[in-house]
Amino acid sequence: MDRRKMLALLGISPALVAGSPTYARTAPKAAPEVSSANGEGPIVVMNPAIAGKQAARVPLVPPLDNLDGKRIYMINLSWEGPDAANYFYGAMTEWFDKHYSGVKTVVKVTAEGMFGSDPSILKDIIANKSDAVIVGVAG
Amino acid sequence: MSRWAKQIQMQCKIPAIGIASSNIVHYATGYNFKYNNGMPIRYVAVPFPFTGQPRAVDVGYVSGKDMLTGQPLMTAVVNALTSPLTAEEKISGAPPEEAVEPKLLPPDSEKNLRRLFEDKGWTDYNWINLPTEKRVAEMLKGTSHKPDEVIKTINITGGLRQLTVEKVAISAVMAGASPEHFPLILALSTQAPFGNSTSSMANMVVINGPIRKRLDFNCGTNSLGPYNRSNAVVGRAFTLMSKTAGDLRNDVNAWESLGSNFQYNNLCFGENEESLPEGWDPLHVQMGFKPSDNVITVGTGWTSISSVGGSQNLYPTHFLMRDYMRALSASGSAATIVVDPTVAGLLKDAYGFTTKAQLSQWFSQNVEKTAASYWGNGVIQSTAIPFALQGLEPYAGWRKLPDDALIKPFTNSNAIRVVVTGGKIQTTWFVTDFRLGRGVKVDDWA
Repeated sequence: MDRRKMLALLGISPALVAGSPTYARTAPKAAPEVSSANGEGPIVVMNPAIAGKQAARVPLVPPLDNLDGKRIYMINLSWEGPDAANYFYGAMTEWFDKHYSGVKTVVKVTAEGMFGSDPSILKDIIANKSDAVIVGVAG
Repeated sequence: MSRWAKQIQMQCKIPAIGIASSNIVHYATGYNFKYNNGMPIRYVAVPFPFTGQPRAVDVGYVSGKDMLTGQPLMTAVVNALTSPLTAEEKISGAPPEEAVEPKLLPPDSEKNLRRLFEDKGWTDYNWINLPTEKRVAEMLKGTSHKPDEVIKTINITGGLRQLTVEKVAISAVMAGASPEHFPLILALSTQAPFGNSTSSMANMVVINGPIRKRLDFNCGTNSLGPYNRSNAVVGRAFTLMSKTAGDLRNDVNAWESLGSNFQYNNLCFGENEESLPEGWDPLHVQMGFKPSDNVITVGTGWTSISSVGGSQNLYPTHFLMRDYMRALSASGSAATIVVDPTVAGLLKDAYGFTTKAQLSQWFSQNVEKTAASYWGNGVIQSTAIPFALQGLEPYAGWRKLPDDALIKPFTNSNAIRVVVTGGKIQTTWFVTDFRLGRGVKVDDWA
């Protein structure tokens, strides 16, 4: 909806009401200097950018040699809700069952969603000797 | 998602890969990896959109292609879990030092500098005052705080950028502010950067206290329109400092699908305190500040719905507000009702709301929407589903309700704010979903 047009249609003209309310007046200060140079000569200005600090590099954990007999956790981050990832992980589980029958899959939905953490899942992964984790699904 | 995958690898010592749509992967493996995560997480990418699709679509992605490699998706999953590490994936330790941003930019013509500022994304693409040393020094006279004082470290998308008084002064100059505005802009900077979410959020900036008069803020006719310098430059300064301090760049780390036009000025306005009905406290007084305190309050939200015309006898004004509030997500139980002073008077005199708090409580008790409508919102799915999964009420109970069951989603009346502004030209109001945070005292930054 174009609110500006809609309001214009209501017929409210600023010119009709200027000056009537307590704070309707425009600030009396002079307009600031618009530019620092009116020619093409070089000028010096300050830098608004702030240097960013890069993250320390952390190597990946070595991958699996193969998937035979492996336990894979699939963590559902509830990205805009848990349903889509649950459907997706369900289909992935079927695929693993069909193509890698030795793979055991476990789907877990995080208790605190995509913005939080869930220590119970990490404990579960360790306690159940999971071999790998798939995290998702965002988008 | 990268945070999760990194945490699992570091704590559980097992491989963890991510699956996301390609636009998320682009951010995760780019800016997020460089400035936030540091671990080169392996990703497999599904098409976008993923959430909110029919079940068959999400299921179908499993038999589709990985958007990164073009391989069958499940082949890519297996490869991501089993292929040997590359040299790049084995790197550890401190990254190379980022080039220090020089205090001054290399001398150049005004035309070239203007182009540079736009190319770098430091502006809102409207005309700026170039921040010469002289202008910034003049701006700094507006505060007793030292130029190198760090106000906060911005790490919303990573980078740990230190926002200093001097950097805020540069943004204030660019926005066209005067030194008298500077304490207010510094107080505002404590809330930087502005909203940056795929959901296209925005902000609201409300000014309270005597400073409104001193700086000639418009709290009357057109207080939310482009008719006043203080409203314009303070709101704009928030945009400029947010973009530079947050290093927010389109399609790099700013991923607002639609974006928000509110972000040009951040809905900056003053409350018309002088026109409040008796018993209706100004916003900052409701928060516990003294009436004589100068306070700036920043809210985060998305939506504004207009009354589209004045109040009618046929239907009480607060009933229509209630109806419109059903369209809001009720995320965090938050709403801000912006009303003309004439509406405030009507609500008090005709409908008996003797305080703002009483009106907020009425909304909390009377706004209803269906469970399906509530859970059908993406932000609610992201933020409230976790509460339900943890068994917290009322969310756990709401999740079990039939779709057409009515719930009262505004559970916290304190998060429903009422702000009075405008020129008494029409009994007009806006219902918004902005969640106003705690106000910041301006005088602390003088």
